[in-house]
Amino acid sequence: MSDQTPDTDGPHADSAVDPKLLEILVCPLTKGPLDYDAKAQELISRQAKLAYPIRDGIPIMLPDEARRIDE
Amino acid sequence: MVRAMMREDPSDSEFHEAADAAADPSEPRGRRRFSAGARASFGYRDVGAAEKQGLVRGVFSNVARSYDLMNDLMSVGVHRLWKDAFVDWLNPRPGWTVLDVAGGTGDIAFRVRKRTGDNGRVVVCDLTPDMLKVGRDRAVDKGVLSGIDWLAGDAMSLPVKSRTADAYTIAFGLRNVTHIEDVLAEAYRSLRPGGRFMCLEFSQVVLPVLDRVYDLYSFNVLPRIGQLVARDRESYQYLVESIRRFPPQEELASMMRAAGFERVTYRNLSGGIAAIHSGWRL
Repeated sequence: MSDQTPDTDGPHADSAVDPKLLEILVCPLTKGPLDYDAKAQELISRQAKLAYPIRDGIPIMLPDEARRIDE
Repeated sequence: MVRAMMREDPSDSEFHEAADAAADPSEPRGRRRFSAGARASFGYRDVGAAEKQGLVRGVFSNVARSYDLMNDLMSVGVHRLWKDAFVDWLNPRPGWTVLDVAGGTGDIAFRVRKRTGDNGRVVVCDLTPDMLKVGRDRAVDKGVLSGIDWLAGDAMSLPVKSRTADAYTIAFGLRNVTHIEDVLAEAYRSLRPGGRFMCLEFSQVVLPVLDRVYDLYSFNVLPRIGQLVARDRESYQYLVESIRRFPPQEELASMMRAAGFERVTYRNLSGGIAAIHSGWRL
């Protein structure tokens, strides 16, 4: 399949994450808490030093896809 | 894409080329940098354990758009009835939080919501964002705008708090993971005491004639249909092989008990083409 077009014009392109979902989410590596950065659309695990992206309203809780934070 | 999966004669491929599968420098999707010593099955290939996840994700990214059609073909349409039976047995109640793992396109989530109404909540967790997008688009089409959350995560390392879910469901997902034991341990952790684990998966056919027919169909007919319909024979070949590598009914039940689940039972569907396993965290 070669459908690589990002669906940026979908009905949920910039939808926010459900706050009730944020309540149960943890870092998959440390099982520790996450900080929600609404502006950057990231969920930050300070213990793991990783920022998990939220794409099209879907949290991508995969360390491979996360941005490494250097503090 | 995942060309090395292809086998002309699956009956004798099981023991071949385990070593070069991971070492082949032309392998486009390898995660060789991890160079994990552990091995995992990828269909009938043995691949590095760290590599399997990337390969599986490749398969599901490839088939995401035709996944529902593929399920129809693989089960001759019966998967819809199996999923109904699965959610019937689960019997979700209003107010529950159901964690549906590997449930990308929403088949289980929509059925749960139908029963719980607006008071039910399903968190769908899938490794492949492409599958989740298909599911969410279907939710929009169906007018289901609340009560289902979509998130990308690994069943072996779930991004959810301990003791949160009233039920954990995994339908046609467990055979695609690298380590079933890790998935079961994470399922146990995510469930609150009194919570229930349920798995729907292709299993071992227990009827004498049906098993021959089913073999013939899945190894000879199905990959060709995959080629015709989705132009992706390899991904379909993988799916057929992965079914045969999955632990049969009793073995999976034992693994569930080893993970801590109690009152473990299973039911065969369609002569064992699929089975539903159930266990409780007590």
